[in-house]
Amino acid sequence: MRPSTGFERRAQLWLRATLPIFAGTLLSCGQPHQQPTAAAPPAVAYEAHITAGDATIPGGSLRNPHAGDAAVARNGALLFTAMNCDGCHGGDATGWVGPNLGAGRWRYGGADAEVFNSIYFGRPRGMPAFGGTLGVEGVWTLVTYLRSLPPPPDIPTESWQN
Amino acid sequence: MSRVARSAALTWLAAALGWGQGMAAAAPPATTEDGQWTMPSKDYAATRYSTLGDISARNARSLHPVWTFSTGVLGGHEGQPLVVGDTMYVVTPWPNVLYAFDLTREGYPLKWKYRPEVSANALGVACCDSVNRGAFYADGKIIYNLLDGHTVAVDARSGHEVWKTQIADLGNGETTTMAPLVVRDRVIVGAAGGEFGIYGWVKGLELSSGRIAWSARNLGTDDEMRARADTFRPPYEHGADLGAHSWGNESWRTGGAPVWGWISYDPQLDLIYYGTGNPSPYNAEQRPGDNKWSTSLLARRPEDGTLVWAYQFTPHDNWDYDATGAMVLADLTIAGQPVKALVHFDKNGFAYTLDRASGRVLLAKPFTPVNWAQSVDLNTGRPVLNPEKQTGASRGNVKDICPSLEGGVSPASPPAFSPRTHLFYTATNNLCMDYASKHTGHLKGTPFVGVVSPYSAGPGGYLGSFMAWDAASGTKVWENKEPFPNWSGALVTAGDVVFYGTLDGWFKSADARTGRVLSKFKVGSGVVGNPITYRAPDGRQYVAVYAGFGGDWALLTGDTRSDDPADVRAPADYMKDIARYTSQGGIVWIFGL
Repeated sequence: MRPSTGFERRAQLWLRATLPIFAGTLLSCGQPHQQPTAAAPPAVAYEAHITAGDATIPGGSLRNPHAGDAAVARNGALLFTAMNCDGCHGGDATGWVGPNLGAGRWRYGGADAEVFNSIYFGRPRGMPAFGGTLGVEGVWTLVTYLRSLPPPPDIPTESWQN
Repeated sequence: MSRVARSAALTWLAAALGWGQGMAAAAPPATTEDGQWTMPSKDYAATRYSTLGDISARNARSLHPVWTFSTGVLGGHEGQPLVVGDTMYVVTPWPNVLYAFDLTREGYPLKWKYRPEVSANALGVACCDSVNRGAFYADGKIIYNLLDGHTVAVDARSGHEVWKTQIADLGNGETTTMAPLVVRDRVIVGAAGGEFGIYGWVKGLELSSGRIAWSARNLGTDDEMRARADTFRPPYEHGADLGAHSWGNESWRTGGAPVWGWISYDPQLDLIYYGTGNPSPYNAEQRPGDNKWSTSLLARRPEDGTLVWAYQFTPHDNWDYDATGAMVLADLTIAGQPVKALVHFDKNGFAYTLDRASGRVLLAKPFTPVNWAQSVDLNTGRPVLNPEKQTGASRGNVKDICPSLEGGVSPASPPAFSPRTHLFYTATNNLCMDYASKHTGHLKGTPFVGVVSPYSAGPGGYLGSFMAWDAASGTKVWENKEPFPNWSGALVTAGDVVFYGTLDGWFKSADARTGRVLSKFKVGSGVVGNPITYRAPDGRQYVAVYAGFGGDWALLTGDTRSDDPADVRAPADYMKDIARYTSQGGIVWIFGL
C-alpha cells in the first residue's frame, strides 16, 4: 500500500467530519465551506461542448487530483449516500428522479471537469449546487467515485424476442 | 350485503340547497347532474360517479375513440380533464400548460392555451415525476397548481391569468402536485415533499384574489396546526400538542406529512377531509413516537382551517404508507344502521370505513395482501402490528413486507362509488418489498429518505388489479387481475359501466356489477390518469381519459423512457417487460358510441 497523499489525508479528515454520524455540526451551522482559492474552478468550462469557430474558451482547466484513486472512490461512495445524492440518483447511482450516473452517459459531459461542474454549480433541471456545502475537495471525491463505477452491461438494445 | 340508505346524489342535492342559502354562489353546485365535470373528483363527495347513462353495459362494446390530442408533454399524465359548458380543460404535467378545447366545433380546436412560467428546478424536487392531479372550476376561473409551488387562477373564457400566488418553497423541498378544492371563497391547497423533510401544511386562499387567508400545519404544536382545545376532538386521543409530543427529538420540524392527493367536502358538516403523507425520514428510528398527524386523515373547517378531528391510519409509519388517497363520502347502511361514512383505500393495504362526523373507524379490512399488521383494533383505531415486519436502521434489511411502498393502491389512483350498485371501484397494486433503513442526515434541498426498498410480485404472481369493494361489509365483490400494477383512477356511471386504464396502455370499460370487460382499446401509452364522462354540446355522452405513462413508474422502469440518450437504464427486475408495451407520451382521448 502506497502512502497517502496530502489530498487523501485531507479528504479522509473531511469525510470524517461530514459523514452522517458526525454530520450535525456541519449541516446545522450553515457556514459555507471555506476552500483554498487555488483549487477553485473557472466559472464555466464544458470541455466536450461544440465551440463556435473552433475557438477555445479561455480559462483554467480542471484536473482531478484523485483520478483513479480507489481509496478516494470508496470515500466518494460513502459521501454519495451521506449527502443524499442517492435520494435522487438512486442506490449505486443507477437513476431515480435524477439520471443514471453509472451508465457511462452524461447529459452535461462525463469528463472529470464536467462532472465536477455539474456537482459544484448544479444543473438547471433540479440538480442542486453542492459546491457551497462540499467544497472543492468533497466534489472531487464524488467525481472520483462516479468515474470509478464499473462499465454497465450492453443496455442500448433491449429485446423481448421469445 | 350492504345497502345505501339514500342515493349520494340526493343527499348532496339536499345539502347543496341548504348550503347555498345566503352564501355567495362562488363554487358551482356540481351536485345535480348537468353533464359537466367541474371539479377533480366530479363532486364534493369525491364519488367519480355520473348519472349519465347513455353508455350502458348493453352498448359499451361499441365504444370507440372519436378524438385524440397530443399534449406535447412526456411526464406522467395523472389527474383528469374538466368539462365546463362547451369547453374541455386539460392541465399537463410540468410545464403545466392549460389547454381549452372548443367542444362545439369539429375536431375540437383550441380556444386558447395558457403557458405559465414554471421553474425547471421543480423537476429535481418533485419526488416522483412531474405530475399534476388536476384543476378545479369555480367562479369563472380554472384553478390549479404549478409544480414549482404556485397556485394560479385563469379566466375560463379568455385564458388570461387572474391571479398567481406562491404557496410553497422549492428550496424547502416543497412541490405542488395536488388538485385544489374550492369551497365558497376558499381555495384549499397543500404541498408534496415527504421525501424532502418538509414541515407539511394546508392553506386556504381567497378565491377572488389568491391571497393566503389561513395556513395550518399537519404536525407540530396545536397552535401551528390550528387545533384548539375546545374544538379539536380526535376520536381516539386526547391531550395538547399531540402533533409535537408524538415526535422524539423535535423531529416534527422536518417530519413531512405532505398533502399531494385529493380533498373532499361535506357541506352539511362543513368539513373538508384530506389525508397526509409519510413522516420523514423513512428511517423511523430518527423519529420515535406515533408521528402525528402524518399518515392521517384530517377534518377541518374550510373557512379558517380549524382542525376538528384527526385519525392516524399508520402510527409511526415505517413503510412509507402515505394516506393521501381520496376520502370518498357516501351514506351507507352498516348492520342495519344508516351511516354517514367516509371510505378510504390506504397505501397500507386496508380499506377503511369511518364515521365522517366523528372520525371513528367502523370497519377496516385488507383489500390487497397485507402482512405488516394483522388487523385494525376498532376500539383503539390502531393496527395490530406484526413484529417481524417492523423496520428501522437497527433492524437492517427487513424482507418481504406487503404491500410495498407503492401502496395497496396508489393515492394517485382515486376510487369511484356507485349509489346504484353500492360498490366502490379501485385499482390495486400487488407488490411486496424489502426495506433496508439507515441513518440519514437532513440537508435542506436534498432528499431525506434513508431507505432502499426493492419490490417483488405479491402472492399470486400478478402485479395489480381493478376491483369492486363493498365498504359496508369489507369484502371484495369482483376483481380483474392485471399483469402490471394498476395506477388508473376509476369512473362509474348510471349506465352501470365502470372505466379504468392499465399501465400497459389499455383503456377498458367493464360491467359494474360483474367486472366483465365490455370494451378495450390500446391508447398509445400507459394510463395513470382518471377517466371522466360528460355530455357534449352535441347532446351525446362521452368518456375522456389521459394516456401518459409516468409517476413513480417512469422512475422505477427507466427503460420505458426514450427521450434522453444520456439516461439509459436497465429494466426493473420485477417487471422486466413493461417497456415492451408502453413508453411515455401524453395523449388526451375521447371515446363515444
